[in-house]
Amino acid sequence: MTDFKKDLEKLKQYRENNDRNSREVVQIWIKSLQPHKDKLGKEKHVILEQVCIAALDTFNLNIAESCIKELYVEFPNSCRVQILESMLNEANDNHSNALIILNNVIKQDPTNSSARKRKIAICKAFVKNSDAIKELTDYLKVYMADIEAWQELSELYISEFDYGKAAFCVEELILHNPHNHLLHQRYADIKYSQGGLENIEIARTYYYQSLKLNPRNMRALYGIYLTTSAMLNTQKLVSGKKKDSAQKILEWVLKEIKQKYSEKSAIEDIKQSLAALEI
Amino acid sequence: MSADLIVDPQIRFWVFLPIVIITFLVGILRHYASILLSSQKKIELQQLADSQLLLRARALRENSGYIPKNAFLIRKQAFNKEDGYLMQKRPAVNQNMMTDPSMMTDMLKGNLTNVLPMIVIGGWINWMFSGFITTKVPFPLTLRFKSMLQRGIELSHLDASWVSSASWYFLNVFGLRSIYTLVLGENNAADQSKQMQEQMQMTGAASGMPADPKVPFKAEWEALEITEHQLKLSDIEKDLL
Repeated sequence: MTDFKKDLEKLKQYRENNDRNSREVVQIWIKSLQPHKDKLGKEKHVILEQVCIAALDTFNLNIAESCIKELYVEFPNSCRVQILESMLNEANDNHSNALIILNNVIKQDPTNSSARKRKIAICKAFVKNSDAIKELTDYLKVYMADIEAWQELSELYISEFDYGKAAFCVEELILHNPHNHLLHQRYADIKYSQGGLENIEIARTYYYQSLKLNPRNMRALYGIYLTTSAMLNTQKLVSGKKKDSAQKILEWVLKEIKQKYSEKSAIEDIKQSLAALEI
Repeated sequence: MSADLIVDPQIRFWVFLPIVIITFLVGILRHYASILLSSQKKIELQQLADSQLLLRARALRENSGYIPKNAFLIRKQAFNKEDGYLMQKRPAVNQNMMTDPSMMTDMLKGNLTNVLPMIVIGGWINWMFSGFITTKVPFPLTLRFKSMLQRGIELSHLDASWVSSASWYFLNVFGLRSIYTLVLGENNAADQSKQMQEQMQMTGAASGMPADPKVPFKAEWEALEITEHQLKLSDIEKDLL
């Protein structure tokens, strides 16, 4: 019984921290919770939802289906359960059915953001990037402050090589979260990819900013190196003074990079540096 | 003078405890009644979009220094031009809430679960247990507290630290909050004092109705209009090297 309590506690913690940990959640469900389904009390439906999503993640469709059935008994008209059902359809490769359910939900409740997001996800699953972009822009017209949606849109644009628009989305991200070095770095990446002297100069500024916010950011160091050398190459009419300063920067960056690599770093450090590269 | 006043122990069993139990049970009843009666609030799409728009505009204004100048100008233009986001014409908000039937039912339900039991139970307690001294607070109080603690007993010589039955009821109404959270969990509807606060606010802001969006839009428009772009990253190179 104490195990049971402990498991409940664990699930609750996952829910509160927004951790998926799907494999473990499904394990817990099969091992200890399912036999005592009726003892879950007030939390039962929340747990059912959590387990359902976890089961979908791990492709345990039977478990997910039974969860949804049980939830439908309690909430026959709930949008939330309908979305779960559409996700089950998605997992089953029955996308058209999923779309029908989602459209239905949106018709019932136009403010339901998760249904719209699922729709976009389905578009993405079919690599229909242009459709996904269209849906996402429609979504962002209403939910203008949804940062994750902006990020998704920027990534979609990047995969379509539309750097100008991707940069716009990342600008939006920076506005909402100006102290995240990864966003600055991402913006610089995009600007550098766009090319052109002006953009490269902007890129360099943002690499500096990113490096300032997180001195561990190797990618920013490399970025500075690349942008500066690109500037040296393209700038035909640089005066001697500017050229000197650019040379100096190159030397400085190379020294920094070498030093960073020569430092004997513990595994923890490497992990941290790796984590610094994920946006 | 107060030391020689002895309260009949029967009062403890027939007045003091019943009042506590009644207020507690009524609170629990109210909790479940409000769950039964509550209707999910529908949010209008437009309303949602408006609030998000304001959020975005504020983010733009506050952190404009972190994006390049032309990026800032594009956005400022989109928000502030003649028919930009912040200048959209929109239909006037329905000011007269009495014409909105859903508003009416909401108000009715609110009154049903808040005010009605308060009046009925309060009145009943006042009538049923009127005139008892129920308990004594263990510290001396000044005369001013007499009207608060001795409702229903008009004795000018009674020490102010004695509590009358009607006042004991009110003390319970406001004091049982933590017990409710213990029994019913967080965010319960049993607590009357919270509901009363809400009602106070409601009279100001017309029961959760969003105020006319034009006002915050105008304010945001003005604030954005006077925002000058100042790139915060211009000296970054010198900072680092």
